[in-house]
Amino acid sequence: MSEYILEMNHIMKSFPGVQVLNDVTLQVRPGEVHALMGENGAGKSTLMKILMGIYSADAGEIVLDGQKITCKNPRDAMEHGIAMIHQELNPILDMQVFENVFIGREKRTKLGLVDKAGMLRETRALLADLNIDIPSDAYMRDLSVAQCQLIEIVKAISLNARVVVMDEPTSAITEHEVDTLFTQIRRLKAENVAIIYISHKMDEIFEICDTITVLRDGQFIGTNPAAGMTSDQLIRMMVGRDITEVFPKADAEIGGPILEVKNISMGKRVKNVSFELRTGEVLGIAGLVGAGRSELVETIFGIRRKSSGEVFIRGQKVNIHSPKDAIANKIALITEDRKFTGLNLVGSVEQNITLVHLSQLFKNGLINGGKEKEVSTHYIDELSIKTPTRQTLVGNLSGGNQQKVVLAKWLLTEPDIIILDEPTRGIDVGAKRDIYLLIGEMVKNGKAVIVISSEIPEVMGLADRIIVMSEGRLTGEVGRPDFSQERIMTYAAQFGE
Amino acid sequence: MKSNTNTLSPKKVSMKDFGLILVFIALVVILAIVSGGTFVTPRNLLNVVKQTAINGILAMGMTFVIISGDIDLSVGSTVALTGVIATMFAHPAADGAANGQYPFIVPILLALLVGALVGALNGVGIAYGSIPAFIVTLGSMTIVRGLALIISGGSPIFDVTPAFESIASIQVGGVVPILAVYLIIIVAICAFILGKTVFGRRIYAIGGNATAASVSGINVRKLRVIVFTIAGLLAGLCGLLVASRTITGSPTAGQSYEMDAIAAAVIGGVSMSGGSGKWYGVVIGALMLAVISNGLDIMSVNSNFQLIIKGLIIIFAVLLDIKGKGKRS
Amino acid sequence: MKKRLLSMLLVGAMAMSLAACGGDTAGKDADQKPAAGDTADTAGSSQKNYKIALCMSHQTNEFTTAVGKGAKEKAAELGVTVEVFDGKQDQATQINQIETAINQGYDGILVEPISADGIVPAVKSANEAKVPVITVVQQMKNQDTMAASYCGGDEAAASKLEMQKAVDAIGGKGNIVIIYGPMGSDAQLKRKAGYDEILAQNPDVTVVYQETANWVTEEALTLMENWLSTGKEINAVVSQNDSMAMGALKAIEDAGKQADIPVFGLDAVSDAVKAVADGRLAGTVSQDAPGQGALGVETMVKVLNGEDVEPINYTECVWVNKDNVADYQ
Repeated sequence: MSEYILEMNHIMKSFPGVQVLNDVTLQVRPGEVHALMGENGAGKSTLMKILMGIYSADAGEIVLDGQKITCKNPRDAMEHGIAMIHQELNPILDMQVFENVFIGREKRTKLGLVDKAGMLRETRALLADLNIDIPSDAYMRDLSVAQCQLIEIVKAISLNARVVVMDEPTSAITEHEVDTLFTQIRRLKAENVAIIYISHKMDEIFEICDTITVLRDGQFIGTNPAAGMTSDQLIRMMVGRDITEVFPKADAEIGGPILEVKNISMGKRVKNVSFELRTGEVLGIAGLVGAGRSELVETIFGIRRKSSGEVFIRGQKVNIHSPKDAIANKIALITEDRKFTGLNLVGSVEQNITLVHLSQLFKNGLINGGKEKEVSTHYIDELSIKTPTRQTLVGNLSGGNQQKVVLAKWLLTEPDIIILDEPTRGIDVGAKRDIYLLIGEMVKNGKAVIVISSEIPEVMGLADRIIVMSEGRLTGEVGRPDFSQERIMTYAAQFGE
Repeated sequence: MKSNTNTLSPKKVSMKDFGLILVFIALVVILAIVSGGTFVTPRNLLNVVKQTAINGILAMGMTFVIISGDIDLSVGSTVALTGVIATMFAHPAADGAANGQYPFIVPILLALLVGALVGALNGVGIAYGSIPAFIVTLGSMTIVRGLALIISGGSPIFDVTPAFESIASIQVGGVVPILAVYLIIIVAICAFILGKTVFGRRIYAIGGNATAASVSGINVRKLRVIVFTIAGLLAGLCGLLVASRTITGSPTAGQSYEMDAIAAAVIGGVSMSGGSGKWYGVVIGALMLAVISNGLDIMSVNSNFQLIIKGLIIIFAVLLDIKGKGKRS
Repeated sequence: MKKRLLSMLLVGAMAMSLAACGGDTAGKDADQKPAAGDTADTAGSSQKNYKIALCMSHQTNEFTTAVGKGAKEKAAELGVTVEVFDGKQDQATQINQIETAINQGYDGILVEPISADGIVPAVKSANEAKVPVITVVQQMKNQDTMAASYCGGDEAAASKLEMQKAVDAIGGKGNIVIIYGPMGSDAQLKRKAGYDEILAQNPDVTVVYQETANWVTEEALTLMENWLSTGKEINAVVSQNDSMAMGALKAIEDAGKQADIPVFGLDAVSDAVKAVADGRLAGTVSQDAPGQGALGVETMVKVLNGEDVEPINYTECVWVNKDNVADYQ
């Protein structure tokens, strides 16, 4: 009997023209949390899709508990006790918790009807067992992302899964919720369940993982115990070179105020917020999820209608009623959710890049293919967007490259004020760094930048000044010399009033 | 980290389109063989293009709508309404002379105007009332049909000037049917708008992701209204052409024309979820439908079987489309 | 590669299905070719293997299919070929089909016009191509100058006969309801004219309700249920065709009023004839549907042989009630 519960040996996989996995091996022991690391495009997702039976490997074997297995589809994998919690959960919103837990394997009564009571009972028992405080008959629609994830874990447990794959489970949940998640992970561990954990967040990896396997460009780089590794070593393995500074801070000259927001309110989500932004400055907006940060910038940008307040640009009062007005005032907003509000996934890279600036680029309304090619190629090179061609559909790119496309389309408008809402969510280390460098470039060129991020170290690393929001209000402001995680958290947790 | 953008020129015709063309060619070859050559006589091929015209023009309008992520079920009824109105203003003068009661241009302009108006109202309901296009146009489909019946008093309107009749029936150079010419002109204009203009590009953008388009500063509502106005305008043109071709303004004309237009677009690879589709695909789709009905008629295939064959081809075409996409990613 | 193969197979499958459907007729076509070609040089001899197109308005009810069947049987008897084209109730489609028939070298065209006016441009093309046209079932506009003949029922006589029988049944006095076909269709207008003539002679008969059920059984059923629910006294139902009469009859039987309200139909389709035999339907008018098709073919062959034909050839119009129903079953 092998010491491993799961072995994926010498896996090869190629798509037309690309070798995505080249002799990759992954060995997981029971009861361990095994981090699978690598930049986007390194082959992590493909490897997991092969494990789940979504793709089939060109060569190599999967051994579970000493037995060679083949999974033709996720259902096979589940029957072998392998469950996956996807990065982007797609719960059926009109379903109840218990239905979701038993989806695809509904319990039946003797008459062959759906045994609702039985499923409710079992779900309730499971939830109680795991100390999860969610009613078993709640609707998925009413749950937070974190709660949906917990339900997925419950589902995995109810399947008696022996291997659970978690793909970026913390990308969309708050710090408090991360704690709950980790508690559950430790519980699974104690029950000898193996967990394959995919994440880009270093601190999490070192907090929860026992073993780390790194992939790079489809190659197996190495497997090491987490203890004794430093994050610099890990990054080096992932990117194949040293990254000295995590947050490269550019030295830019801070000038006069360019944007002044006075007493702006939007319904109950944003309450009487005032701040100013200077040229050459990076202003961070911190706060918990739901504090109203996105709503604030969306109101400034004209996506939402403000209920009161004024906005001044270079001392001139401006009336922004739509994104079109904001664009005319040289503001750019890189929204939080690139898939829903940032990109046309069925459009090409080129079409996405030129979309905002189209009417400026082609004033007579006719598209000049040559000029468009020139512009898009320039930005693809400038931002190092990894794409086979400029005609590739954006939906086929990795998260980091998609985010760069969003940036490119806004940079093309040559904005003076650039607002980035969670610009690095779900993207890999290399792409993150590219984006940090880009922000530095922007302020060096005299632009003003606002960055919203739920990762406090990120805001602290990037910003010259941080304002903190809680429940729609501004609760504090901190200058760079006074930055501390505690101080920001204190402001962020300031409720009531 | 240098990008690995290559300089490959974009493929003009993708694998998927190639499959479509293959099916089309296969159809034509089979019909040519089975009909003993009568299908491919120049005269019959011109006939096929002519028979494609009405559905082809409607399908171009439908293509705008579907690419923008919506659907328009009202175009068939609009054909009837505009046909009735055009015919009412195309009666010969009381003195029996060749000229009409109204100038020649009046019925033409009215048909186009009324068609555009119906489309614009659809668009306003969808864009500003935030009602799904399916619902709005389902409603307007019956409303417009009702209007056609009311205005016509329930009976077809007859009696038109020879000039009105000639709109759809003259032959250019004595050979080329004018309907084919209209089709080519409309296709050329639509292809230009969709492929070469900022406006066309934005239609793809709102179909691909309306929220993202709106955040990108595009006035999505205005664009929707324009898109539906175009579909209505082209339906008005078809109403005029059908009325001229049949010298009748029939309130029951154009039944289920919207379905044929949707079918042509779908066969041509226009995605029902919006954001993608090419004009040439739609042209092939419309030609394919005309070829099917013409070819099967020539072969005297029972009309009930024709329905089944048409349905199978629609489904296979879309299957091909999906398989083609699966292959690429 | 697998997917590619699948696509190919699909194309192949479609091709096969097409070939299968058209196969048998194609064989015939090939055989006929020389025969049709011979016509010109051996003109004058008594009988040829003529190829005749029968363009029907639609093929979705018993009447229209019976016309087609009658025509085909007569054709077999005379040694000529008849192919049926289904116009799907759309005038533009019917025009396409007539043009296709002209292009395909048919010797003669029998047509049931969907609209008397709308058919004119197509018949004009046939006239120009010197292909004789005979109208069946319905006449067209400019019948005398454009069509070689008319073969079919006498709508006026048939509808007058039906209304007269209904008026007689209620003793020339009382309330009746009338169910029409699609408003504005030629049959609806002609039959209504016949009704009105009889009603004008019987001032004591009141038409309490009149509405269209579009030739559809189900619509007539709903209509009749609604009328019955008003509680208004109704002494008889006059329906413009049998399908609708059967719907009305069902509603009356459901309400248990079959003894009080006799229902009158027209066309003598088989389920109506059976209902007459069962004593449920008061009666119907036979216009001899298969006879209309047969008469059309017979007359066309005479025309093609250069013989003189009558401009109007009516089929027999007979009142079918329980006394003579056995002859029609």
